Amino acid sequence: MARKTIETDAAPSSPPTPAKVAAQPSLKPEEMELLRKRDEQKAVENELAERELRVTNLRAELGAFERQYLHLVGLRYAELDEYKAQLAERLAAEQPDNARAQQAAREARARANETKAGAGEKSDHTPHAFKASPEMKRIYRDVAKRIHPDLTSNREDRATRQQLMARANEAYERGDETALTNILTEYESSPEAFHGEGPAAELVRVIRRISQVRGRLAEIEAESQAMLRSDLYQLRLRVDEAAQDGRDVLKEMVRKTDEQIAEAKRRLAENRR
Amino acid sequence: MGASSITPDQMREQRSSRELARKGSQALAVRSAALIRRGLRDLARDSNWLVRKVFHGPVSHAALSPDGQVCTLLPQIRTGAHSLTLFDIDRCVATLTLGTATDPDEAELPTPFAWSPDGRYLLRARGTRASELQLFDLHAKVLAGAFGDFAHLPSDVAWSASGKFAASASRGWSASLDLWQMQTPPVPGRAVATRVQLLRTPEWLDLQSTDGESNEAGAFSGYGHLAFSPNEQFLAVSVEIGGEWADDLIGFLDAATLEKKSVFEAQGRVTDLAWSNDGQRLVYCSAGQAYGIDPLSAECTSLPFGGEQCAWHPHLPVCLFYSSLLKSSAKGRLFLADMNRITVFDEYPADGVLDLRWSADGSKAYAITNDGLAYIYEPELL
Repeated sequence: MARKTIETDAAPSSPPTPAKVAAQPSLKPEEMELLRKRDEQKAVENELAERELRVTNLRAELGAFERQYLHLVGLRYAELDEYKAQLAERLAAEQPDNARAQQAAREARARANETKAGAGEKSDHTPHAFKASPEMKRIYRDVAKRIHPDLTSNREDRATRQQLMARANEAYERGDETALTNILTEYESSPEAFHGEGPAAELVRVIRRISQVRGRLAEIEAESQAMLRSDLYQLRLRVDEAAQDGRDVLKEMVRKTDEQIAEAKRRLAENRR
Repeated sequence: MGASSITPDQMREQRSSRELARKGSQALAVRSAALIRRGLRDLARDSNWLVRKVFHGPVSHAALSPDGQVCTLLPQIRTGAHSLTLFDIDRCVATLTLGTATDPDEAELPTPFAWSPDGRYLLRARGTRASELQLFDLHAKVLAGAFGDFAHLPSDVAWSASGKFAASASRGWSASLDLWQMQTPPVPGRAVATRVQLLRTPEWLDLQSTDGESNEAGAFSGYGHLAFSPNEQFLAVSVEIGGEWADDLIGFLDAATLEKKSVFEAQGRVTDLAWSNDGQRLVYCSAGQAYGIDPLSAECTSLPFGGEQCAWHPHLPVCLFYSSLLKSSAKGRLFLADMNRITVFDEYPADGVLDLRWSADGSKAYAITNDGLAYIYEPELL
């Protein structure tokens, strides 16, 4: 019976370097290959943790910026479109035989409803920009290295990791350090964390993990590129660039939209008279 | 099973884990995408005007559709022959090229075009000697048919608001004003248009030109610009009088019979006409000046701004004008006038404008220049 080893899915804390591998001539070829592959696995897992952190960070930053934008500007667009719809409906009511005015009123109302749905509900507090602390980033890296679903080929273990990783992403976006640490502790104490059956089976597992990690790295790259090309990112870039020149673009947009809302209100009031 | 293979179950699980992890922010992004684009658009401009290069000119004529397209005649790179080409203004791309047998001299002539109100059909006058009108079905991307027989290239064509009728005007010794009933959609084997009225030299012209001030006017030289009233009751037409100092006339005709309702004397050569959204007023441009006429009260007023072209908003008392002469500047300008207060409320410098048009819903106005620049007016409140 093969010796039952207590090994974790992650690489050993002090992986053998190529020099160490070369310095152990008594090792069997598959054991030497396993050491080399573990080295490679360690490197790609580190890279995965770093990339996963970056993409999660970007996602969280964009999500926070989007909430801030919708709170400040989106809700004002919704208010403006509501007044425009009321104006169009009033004009349509005054000209019941004008098919174009009727059509314009219907379209204005549909646009107002769409904008309202897009802007979401009004909240009392302004959402803040996302900014992760260095400690949060360190914990997230540990979590990603330890529980990322792509670091296991065990089906049940993967399911557990998927749940935990989803919770970890949410905790990171919330900036909840305690929850993030608890997720790591929870996994470390679970039975899925312990398994392993000798060098041959382990070699297969390591090769699979490397392949999975590389696949995930490609996906992260694609997701990052998609986010960098998105309108949301372009908008945030414009806001950030202007901030470097001392301009608060969101505030300017708020002021401009407020002026348009005031003009729309004035027209509505004039029309009522 | 190979060492590096992943089972379908594992792949599904991998996918579901990613969906689970990102569900919250993705849903938000989809819902707010339009608002994000709107913010970007608003940031990209510091006025209500956008300027885009749609095609490379110069061209002598171009016409704008109510759905943001422009048509013009452009030479093809390989053959040099001119083709009717359509462009989408917002995307700045050619959307359709229709090879039409074009007389080389014709490309230099001001070729009148008229888009149907729904933007599906395009009427075009063509031919340097024996001229005709062509009807293009742009959904089917075909020349649906040709009609009419004119000694000279028609000077203008116009559709009625319902798209059921069209009118054409021509100059010269056989000048005529023709009213056509359009067969749209076209039916194979049937004419695409049937002439329902024809007016040659109007009999009321003699009466008009013999009274008072009109004595200075020269001979009738033909019909110029045309515009159906929104309710299709009237057809306004400029009646051109020969002579360097002659003033054109503006006739208000019954749109069904072409019988005269009233006639006004314009000041100089009429360059454009536009009905108000409620059909109660007409603005016209002549000799670089804008004027307003109330056909019912017979009141004609000079508006306090210059203008050579005009387009009235489909349901607001707002009119877009173009004037090639801006005071104290060599540049021309596009400008918006509140026609109740008779004040200009927005303007933008522009040169060489060939056509003006409002979108069907009135949310945008377009202007196109002879070198292919499109000016898009997209204010927040229209």
